[in-house]
Amino acid sequence: MGVVLEKLPGISGRVPGGEIVLTTADAIIGWGRKSSVWPLTFGLACCAIEMMGSYASRFDFDRMGVIPRPTPRQADVMIIAGTVVKKMADPIIQIYHQMPEPRFVISMGSCANCGGPYYDSYSVVKGVDKIIPVDIYIGGCPPRPEALQYAVIKLQEKISRMKLKNTHGATFQQAKGSREL
Amino acid sequence: MTAHEDLFTEIKAGYPKLEKDRAQVEPYLTLKVLAKDVAAFFAFLKDTLGFDYLDMVTAVDWKGPVNRLGYITEPNPNPFLPDGATPQVQQAPAAPNVAYRESFEVVYLASALSRGRKVMVKAEVPRNSPNLPSLAGLYKTADWQEREVYDLLGVTFDGHPNLKKILTPDFIQGHPLRKDYVHQKDRYDD
Repeated sequence: MGVVLEKLPGISGRVPGGEIVLTTADAIIGWGRKSSVWPLTFGLACCAIEMMGSYASRFDFDRMGVIPRPTPRQADVMIIAGTVVKKMADPIIQIYHQMPEPRFVISMGSCANCGGPYYDSYSVVKGVDKIIPVDIYIGGCPPRPEALQYAVIKLQEKISRMKLKNTHGATFQQAKGSREL
Repeated sequence: MTAHEDLFTEIKAGYPKLEKDRAQVEPYLTLKVLAKDVAAFFAFLKDTLGFDYLDMVTAVDWKGPVNRLGYITEPNPNPFLPDGATPQVQQAPAAPNVAYRESFEVVYLASALSRGRKVMVKAEVPRNSPNLPSLAGLYKTADWQEREVYDLLGVTFDGHPNLKKILTPDFIQGHPLRKDYVHQKDRYDD
């Protein structure tokens, strides 16, 4: 109970007797979701090296509750780390649909944002947001691990703003129609 | 350099109508072979001189002149520009040492592993009918390498067991590394 009071100081309050805590469903569900953002183990190009660096001990992604999962069935967020070529676009869409809802996408690096240095190429998708909806964009070529961790913090803020009432449990992107992708 | 001369005389002894290429690729001995002689020449290299491994097959498009990006320019070559945009044509000055011509140059690199020798072989084919005999029967490594050259440059290797695209997805039209390649918009281009 001390954890709840510490993490949600403005929402939950100490009730006389100390046996129950009052909070809202949105707050407690959002707190649970944002504290265990599990990404899919999935890298496409050189940005994946920085992503692996973030998981490793120097930057230690685990302290934020980010634990890589080897299957899309157990993952909450997909980190698009690298260049999306047209041949890889269909597998990415398939993996996106295999992830359970609510699902989030982080676009990491210039290539995934807009094509980057390969913008004029015949084989590169000019931004992963042309094929799947993206929640967080990270600039850089490649971004530092700190940038990726800052993106996860921003994603946690976004998750904690989700309201069950407005969207029936969907993310902002899903409410805008990404379920019918 | 003497090792190159020794190898050259050794090859020339068994295959008289042979000449060195004008552009030697360091550090290899670079030879020029006619397109119709390629299969016979490599059979000779493999069987007689023990060149039992084919390192590489690639090709060069010598069409020119090209712009600064290396492409033959057309009035509005960039398919991602909006309609009516200013043509972006920057012609590079003619390079003095490059002889532009209407041909592909297919480049082979072969090794004799037992003696540690390598030889580079160039064969030139015209751009309008780029046909070469396939080496997939001689060297297993030629299989995928020739498919890559076919995919990216459109050189057809006669007698190849499975000559189809290897790298680009099926909906990409044309051969992207040709100098006059014009990209056709597909479903991933807006």
